[in-house]
Amino acid sequence: MKKQANKTISIRVSLKDRNLDAVRYAAYAVSDAAYVFVRSAGKGAVTVEFTPKNGSPAKDLSRRFQEELADEKIRAAIFDSNRDLREFMILKALAYEETPAAAKSDDSGLTPEQESELDALIAQVESEIKKESTGGKTKDPLGITRTWEEKYGAKTSRKKN
Amino acid sequence: MAQKQAAKKTDKSMALPSKRSPAGKTAKSRSVLPQALWRKIGANYLLTNDSGHYAWLKEKDFALVTAGKMTERDPLFGELAAKGFVRNRLDFNDLASKWKKKNSYLYYGPSLHILVLTLRCNHKCLYCQSAAGGAGAKHTDMTAEIARKSVDLAFNSPNPAITIEFQGGEPLLNWEVLKSAAAYARKKAKITGKELQLALVSNFSLMNAEKAEFLLRHEVSICTSLDGPRALHDKNRVCASGSSYADTVKWIKYFQARHEKQVPEYRVFKPSALLTVSRYSLRSHKEIVDEYVRLGLEDIFIRPLAPIGYAKRLWDTIGYDAKDFAAFYFKSLDYILKLNKRGVVIKEKMAAMMLDKIVNFRDPGYLDARCPCGAAIGQLAYNYNGDIYTCDEGRMVGWEGDDLFRIGNVFKDGYKKLMTCPTTKVCVVSSNLEAQPACARCAYKPYCGVCPVYNYETQGSLWGNMPANDRCGLFKGIFDALFTLLRDPGKAAILKKWVAK
Repeated sequence: MKKQANKTISIRVSLKDRNLDAVRYAAYAVSDAAYVFVRSAGKGAVTVEFTPKNGSPAKDLSRRFQEELADEKIRAAIFDSNRDLREFMILKALAYEETPAAAKSDDSGLTPEQESELDALIAQVESEIKKESTGGKTKDPLGITRTWEEKYGAKTSRKKN
Repeated sequence: MAQKQAAKKTDKSMALPSKRSPAGKTAKSRSVLPQALWRKIGANYLLTNDSGHYAWLKEKDFALVTAGKMTERDPLFGELAAKGFVRNRLDFNDLASKWKKKNSYLYYGPSLHILVLTLRCNHKCLYCQSAAGGAGAKHTDMTAEIARKSVDLAFNSPNPAITIEFQGGEPLLNWEVLKSAAAYARKKAKITGKELQLALVSNFSLMNAEKAEFLLRHEVSICTSLDGPRALHDKNRVCASGSSYADTVKWIKYFQARHEKQVPEYRVFKPSALLTVSRYSLRSHKEIVDEYVRLGLEDIFIRPLAPIGYAKRLWDTIGYDAKDFAAFYFKSLDYILKLNKRGVVIKEKMAAMMLDKIVNFRDPGYLDARCPCGAAIGQLAYNYNGDIYTCDEGRMVGWEGDDLFRIGNVFKDGYKKLMTCPTTKVCVVSSNLEAQPACARCAYKPYCGVCPVYNYETQGSLWGNMPANDRCGLFKGIFDALFTLLRDPGKAAILKKWVAK
């Protein structure tokens, strides 16, 4: 359905199995090589007119437009079927928070006094375990089992601020 | 296995929302691809999605997938399901976390703050985009007061990490103001607790030991321009007082040596260099890369020329089209990969930034290729007179007499006003790829970005016309090259190593 008048070529496109947007987007994709006019061609069809820029070959224009039109049909089907899904995914992504590592619960159900009593008890037990494991003497004269922070203090950044 | 895991992770709370579309075709729509973009490269299709996953398909597989006829028995099914290309096997948490990581910049304010300390320059580069004036144009020097006001505004950005870049003209021509602004910014960073990076872009012609010492002590990272071997560099970067190349090389070596000999008091950054590709560069890809290697530079940033500023006037002499640049870029990249194979340490920066998005789903902080673009919401350019522009390119347009991209002044306008002014909004809207018909359909959309200033300068509108846009052509060429190279396991291994942190 192509007509050639001067340098302009016309292609008639049926809108039976695609909508006008698909035709417009496909035409836009070749707007680097041609000026494009989309006109009504009676009920359920449009005529797309291409006037090549800089002597672009008409054959190429037609082929590119048809390819874009075929792609656009697939895109339209995917878009129609997934619009809600995509909106949902983007909303989820915008609101997404990395799940933090299991946080220490603030609410232990104990009063502050009970909390400090418990802390003291834990410290006492820990010190007893330490004594038992070392036999009361230091078996680690080089401090190999001590962490870097215990030995040298917290790491300080050399970064200037 | 991968598909089973993907299916398992799709818990009930992530159930698909009801469909709004032409109704009642549930069975059919389930087999249709979810959101997907594609591009035919040679005989194959590259398939991508919003999260940044990609897959290669042969023509027959592409037809099967788009027709919803690929079955679970197909060897490709598992890969496609794991990457979010199978509608009823979506791992929403994975896709959402990757999308967010890649677009993390949306949650912060402008990070880059460019202080144009002077328009004076002692060079007359053929492609200058900085509106450089003669060395005598002292009225274009930024005052210390304007510099401080600019720093104050930069610190108003909610971004916890900001970079203040001293630029020109040649910024060393306004040395006293540079010094005071750098020291002031460091103090301000201490008070506010913000992470601050200071950067200088200089041609080095006015560098001396005293200035170098100050810059090092204040941890200012140093960047210069290097366009290749002496003849090519000096042809592009004309300097009345002699060879631009000689000064550039001398100070690159100096800062390299200082970087290698670190001191405990402060960090010394490795100097970096930028390559601007003019038409004269197109036949010398090997010589240019070799020059960078010879100087011990580990990054080469192959940047295309933009028809803005002086380059616009000389475009017929020094410009080129997207195809020429793509060919040059591909040859350069190929050569760099060959050098890597031989153990030479050098990487191409543009490729590395794009690969960070493609391979790691990370935002590399490249303001020119993101959605929306970095104009105002990612960067601000403070002109010597206190006027604030959306970006340095926008400032250039202002210098040519059109203040479309001016969004305020340091004395009159606060951060909130800058972010909500109509110019900022229109830049955001016009660089939103969803609103660009060609970009919204492009396979490279998850990794790319448009530039409203470029569109305005070259096509007369902020939206431009992407099918005919040379910048779009350049980026497509770069992405084509990268994705093609990623298909070669040997080359892919090297490329991935560039962004393995």
